[in-house]
Amino acid sequence: MSSASSSDCEDKDTATKSRGNLQDEEGLDWLKPRTLLVPDDQEDVPDADLEEEIGRILTTINPQWVADEVAYHYGQAKFVVKPKPTFGKAYPLYVYQGTAIRKDSDEAKAQIAAGYGKVGFDDAGPKRAKVKKSTTEMEEEEEPEAEPPPQEEVKEEEAPDEEKAKEEGGEDQEGGQADAAADEETEAVADEGAAEEQVPEDAGEAGETHVEEVLEIKPRVKKLANQFNFCERAALTYNFPRRSVDTQTVPPPRANYGATCLQSIIFDFYQEDYARKQREKEEEKPKRLRKKTAKHVKSAQQIHDEQLAQRIREAWTILERLVNQNIYDEIAQDYRYWDDPSDEFREGMGSLLPLWKFQFEPMRSHAVCDVQWNPHYQDLFAVAYGSLDFTQQQKEGCLCLYSIKNPAFPEYSVITDSPIICLDVYKETPYLICIGRYDGNVCVYNAQLTLESSYQYKSDSVRDKHSNIVWEIKWGARMIDGEASFFSISGDGRVVQWAVMPGELQATTIITLHSSVPPIPGPDGTLLTVNSCGSCICFHPEKADIFMVGTEDGMIHTCSLKYNRNYVRSVQGHHMPVYRIHYNNYNNTIYASCSGDWRVKIWEDGRDEPLFMFELGSPVGDVKWAPYSSTVFAACTADGKVYVYDLNVNKYRPICVQAVVSKKTKKLTRVDFNPRLPVIVCGDTKGTCHVVKLSPNLRVMCKPPKKAQVSDQRTLQIMKLDKLLSLVRDPPFQTGVVDEKFDDD
Amino acid sequence: MANEAEETIRKLATHKGVVGVIVVNGEGIPIKTTLDNHVSVQYAGLMSALVDKAKSVVRDLDPTNDLTFLRIRSKKSEVMVAPDKDFILIVVQNPVD
Repeated sequence: MSSASSSDCEDKDTATKSRGNLQDEEGLDWLKPRTLLVPDDQEDVPDADLEEEIGRILTTINPQWVADEVAYHYGQAKFVVKPKPTFGKAYPLYVYQGTAIRKDSDEAKAQIAAGYGKVGFDDAGPKRAKVKKSTTEMEEEEEPEAEPPPQEEVKEEEAPDEEKAKEEGGEDQEGGQADAAADEETEAVADEGAAEEQVPEDAGEAGETHVEEVLEIKPRVKKLANQFNFCERAALTYNFPRRSVDTQTVPPPRANYGATCLQSIIFDFYQEDYARKQREKEEEKPKRLRKKTAKHVKSAQQIHDEQLAQRIREAWTILERLVNQNIYDEIAQDYRYWDDPSDEFREGMGSLLPLWKFQFEPMRSHAVCDVQWNPHYQDLFAVAYGSLDFTQQQKEGCLCLYSIKNPAFPEYSVITDSPIICLDVYKETPYLICIGRYDGNVCVYNAQLTLESSYQYKSDSVRDKHSNIVWEIKWGARMIDGEASFFSISGDGRVVQWAVMPGELQATTIITLHSSVPPIPGPDGTLLTVNSCGSCICFHPEKADIFMVGTEDGMIHTCSLKYNRNYVRSVQGHHMPVYRIHYNNYNNTIYASCSGDWRVKIWEDGRDEPLFMFELGSPVGDVKWAPYSSTVFAACTADGKVYVYDLNVNKYRPICVQAVVSKKTKKLTRVDFNPRLPVIVCGDTKGTCHVVKLSPNLRVMCKPPKKAQVSDQRTLQIMKLDKLLSLVRDPPFQTGVVDEKFDDD
Repeated sequence: MANEAEETIRKLATHKGVVGVIVVNGEGIPIKTTLDNHVSVQYAGLMSALVDKAKSVVRDLDPTNDLTFLRIRSKKSEVMVAPDKDFILIVVQNPVD
């Protein structure tokens, strides 16, 4: 009751509460009317009745139960009693026919008999064991210990089962049959074990009343197979049979390799790699750029061959030098370092130390017609081989370049088809040499070219070439348009200027040397003018257009390039052919001349008489001023002697006379001072060149005066010569000097 | 070139004191000689080895350097060797008295 009232109160509370809420929320007025709607026909019940409490009593009696309910059966046309529901007095409100059936129903038994509800092997085992335990408890445990034959076991098991069955039988009073069935059942379990299929059958045989008992004893009714229970299924796939398959490849070729790895080898490989990369870079250039270069590119083989040939040549050259160094070691030492110590005790006298003799085997019978040191290489000199024996003139000549490093063989030699009489080395390009030949031709040789190419220029096809021996040839200054030019003087009485044009020579006659001989009447009455034969030519060191010409009749003409008719000056210098005119290296007005009349004369420009005159007792082939001193000159004579004069030391006698060759067989022809070294070279008529060293007394340099205002050697030399000249010039009559000289001799 | 080589060898051989001239090719085989065959072969073989060694000495000290010539002075003679990668030139010379 209290619970009911409390519930009512709660209802009220909630009602008021809700109402209050509604009142509060005026916006929701429209949801519910304020007053409950009451149907019109509602019975009016007084409040007291409404308030009355009606008690509810819970009983077991269904007041609405009808004991015997009948219903009309239309088929039988009568009322029949409705069957009472099996569930007693309960009234089913809803009946649902499920699929579950009772185990003890006939249907279930039928299903079991049909084999449904089998359990899997896994489930069956333990359950059965449980059952056994529950039923046979201790006895079961003893089983493993004693393993007697199965029959004994059966007997043992039977006993407790029977006892149990008896107890149950006592209670149920259903006795023997059930026991027997149970016994049978237990026997079946014990004997067959796994034969469960029989169990339901046995159970079925045992009868309805015993079902429960049987089931209780062994509730290992087979579970209905759960077809979705995958875990119970096992599948075994086929095992693929294993096979071993082996193959063997062809073994790669093997080779043993051995090498040494050195720093230099690594370096070489890097260099090679660098070169290769450079080449690749080159190849990447656009093609049109490459084409230009490709024209001149020789094949790699050609380049290699050329380089190899060049390397071999160089190697041979150096080897030859080494051999020569071994042979001529002492001479080389002397040449450089040995000075004749006896000079100290011979006041004013010197000597010549013979160093090397240069011979060219094919030219043994030839005469050295000209010799000249190379202006650029101090150890190189050029030799022209010809012949001065005009009754037995040689057929051929030779141009040789000798180095003092190799006295045995010339560095360069070229055989010409005519004897060479003179040569001159071009100062600007010291490998260009012009030669004058016996047959009147002039040629230019390039020593850089190989021997096969022979001369570079030859005057053979030139119109105005010489018709007689070319006696002397000299390179001149470049012409206005830049071509090199040289001058030649020949026995035909002409001085010709040769312009070295590209590929050819061009001749211009500078002057024709007319002689004082009156025209000779010819055989047919014409008058022939006789030219005087030129024999030597010498250019003024500074005035390029002034030159001097010596003739075979002993005249010395001073000429100019600008006047081709007349001589500037003419002097009867000698009585025999003039072989050489040479300007002093320090004073342009002083020159020396030598002649076949045994005399050497020193001239001053503008004087008709020589300043000095020396009689050498034999035809004088050559005279040269020394490059290192203004007062020293050397001359060589046909009797094989070399005379060295120093006018500063002795104005009348030579300071050195030395026979270089035997005068019986050989004559000295030419002499030349080395421009830098204290050696001179002289050639003889048997094709030998002698290089001799000047002793210290022959190359005395000027000592600066005490006041030491001038220390330059060149000015000192000039001063020395001027002083000397002033002494010589003083007497107005110059012949005295000559007379004195003659008197001395 | 062949003539030139002949000429050069002839020239060298005529120098005073020169005993023999041997030209060895890149493989160490004497291809031209003025000496007896077996002596030339011996010289060629020994000199090739020596040149290789000498070259490696020079180049190992400074890789940019290179051996150019080799002179071996002995009591009896002097051997001058011009080594190259493609050839070796050997000249044997007795000292001048």
